Amino acid sequence: MQNDILDIRVFLAAKYIAMSLLWLRVAVVLYGIAAFAVLPAALYNRPRWRHVALPAALAGAFFHFVSITETLYAAHRALPVDTHETLSMLGLLLATAFLVLTARYKTVSFGIFLLPVVVLMTIVPAFRPGHETIAYPFIRTGWLLLHVALLLAAYAALFLSLIASLLYLIQERRLKQKLTTQKRSWLPPLETTDQIALKALLFGLPCMTAGLLIGSVVALQTIGPTFFADPKVLLSLAMWIAYMLMIFIRQHSGLRGRRAVYLSSFVFLVVLAVWSANALSAVHRFRAP
Amino acid sequence: MSQIKQPGSLLLLGVNHTTAPIDVRERLAIPISRLADATRTLAHQPGVREAMILSTCNRVELLTVQDDAQPVATTTLGLLNFLHDYLSLPAAEVRPHVYEFREREAIRHLFRVASSLDSMVVGEPQILGQVKESWNVAREVGAVSSMLDPLLQRAFSVAKRVRTETHIGSSSVSIASVAAELARKIFGSLAGKTVLIVGAGKMSDLAARHLIQQGATTLLVSNRTEARAEKIADSLRTPAITTGVIPFEQLHEQSHRADIVITSTGAGQVFTTEHARALLHRRRNRPVFFIDIAVPRDVAPEINKLEGCFVYDMDDLQQVAAQNQAVRSREAEAAETIVTKEVARYTDRLSRAPAIAAIKVLQLSAETIRQQELARTAARLAAQPLTPEQQAAIESLTKSLTAKLLHSQLAALRAEITPVDREE
Repeated sequence: MQNDILDIRVFLAAKYIAMSLLWLRVAVVLYGIAAFAVLPAALYNRPRWRHVALPAALAGAFFHFVSITETLYAAHRALPVDTHETLSMLGLLLATAFLVLTARYKTVSFGIFLLPVVVLMTIVPAFRPGHETIAYPFIRTGWLLLHVALLLAAYAALFLSLIASLLYLIQERRLKQKLTTQKRSWLPPLETTDQIALKALLFGLPCMTAGLLIGSVVALQTIGPTFFADPKVLLSLAMWIAYMLMIFIRQHSGLRGRRAVYLSSFVFLVVLAVWSANALSAVHRFRAP
Repeated sequence: MSQIKQPGSLLLLGVNHTTAPIDVRERLAIPISRLADATRTLAHQPGVREAMILSTCNRVELLTVQDDAQPVATTTLGLLNFLHDYLSLPAAEVRPHVYEFREREAIRHLFRVASSLDSMVVGEPQILGQVKESWNVAREVGAVSSMLDPLLQRAFSVAKRVRTETHIGSSSVSIASVAAELARKIFGSLAGKTVLIVGAGKMSDLAARHLIQQGATTLLVSNRTEARAEKIADSLRTPAITTGVIPFEQLHEQSHRADIVITSTGAGQVFTTEHARALLHRRRNRPVFFIDIAVPRDVAPEINKLEGCFVYDMDDLQQVAAQNQAVRSREAEAAETIVTKEVARYTDRLSRAPAIAAIKVLQLSAETIRQQELARTAARLAAQPLTPEQQAAIESLTKSLTAKLLHSQLAALRAEITPVDREE
């Protein structure tokens, strides 16, 4: 009898995972359509393509959400474990950021950069899913879900800020070189991109702070003080300091344009270093061997 | 059997900025307050079935549907007489400036006017609103019906198609509007932005007005003669606009308050790189836009190299305007193609309208006779009413007979209609 129940559970879990993969593939196709359609919509100011890009991105985000929910439900956990799942969740956050920006600022220009990244982030997990399982039972707790979700939101915000700063730079150059013909009217006004860049960072800072704090408290309770000597943890602290400094400099000196891009790029590199530091970390690993 | 009404012939008579000097256009212009009365009067002229008057600062046009029985020369003369009677303007004085379009050419002209292809500034958006206003007036006085009503509705949809499928109206072509457009590229919405005018001049005044139209809410003026500055500030002050004067000697201390600086003193180097650096420092690097319309230039061109400073002089603005004008010209060609296709489609439909109307009349008439005969038969058989099956059989029989009797006539009429219309 117990074996039967186990079989049914295994069967259902396999079914959910198969379905979640299907939804993720649907989402990838829809994101791909949106990424393609956003080019004529933004670059050639063709409103019809906008009507393709936005519904496709929205539907993609919906199927993506369904896929992630099913994956986590089937795995009986509340957070992504492997790199593929994490990338997929980050992709969903970026797609959501694109939709929010479009609704708020009536511009699809960010999609030119964001949507291809979303496609890249989801295409790997959709066609080559990870197979890691988790080793720690505490990972099912909501605190760790918050830790991961908040940090992913902070990364997404930083990426968005970097793209906004890049758009600012392109528009600034065009205005300075007096290349202001209609063809490039897809670029949002300087003040809009500047606001987006700053607001994204201001949104990301509390997310990163809270995410790191929650992670630290959970680590302290489960692993002990040795956790704080780990390279991953030290780099995370450096990342937080860099993130905060960047906001401070932007707010107090009104840093914009080229220097803002350099600063955002530097912090982004730090974030990438923190991400890849998992390989060096002895304790920030949750996969079963 | 009802008669098929003859459609009438379309005649458009008018003057515009290319055919008549402004003094003639001024005398022909009909103010909006008198438009309803003028349209009503025109619609009551002999031989005029429907009428609409379009009167703007650049054109006065009389669009009419005339009885087909009217000789061509009489119709033109009739409209000229209307102008003479209504505006007390001798026909001989107007005649040399008048253009006249009939049927297909009138449709084409109307579509071009509504699409802003016949405007002084091609692509300007006001004309469509003016045509709609004239149409509304004509509808209110009952001067438009079966022919002009659908024609004007078609003209509006053609204009909309031209707007959406081309970029004819999307770029600015005047110096002042180019300046406002550039400001929008820097600041997005101009709501809450401050404009500083340095020096006095018509062009700077015009540019400031454009920026205010786009949402700028604060206007500062600085001039060597303070009284002149006060005068400019007063002339631009409205309940929604805050204005102020900056003494010229305090210009560099206070110019950081402005997001957009328009200079037109012609005194040369009013703003140097050092001034701009100090200004940026005070603004904490928030962008500032210098519009330098002075010759010699007031703003050092090197300022454009500073991060956050954007300097456009007269040549730059003219260059952008010229580029935009070229874009409009290219788009106008695409718009002309759309208009040509739409004219062909509309005239084609018009030419088939009598056949469609004849089919409808024929079918209606046959159905009326059939119903009358059925009612008469039913009355005769009142003593022995038919069963539902018998009634259905008679219905079917009469319908079949009617269809067969009409077949050859309907087939002949349908042959004149293209497959597209049959589907409709």
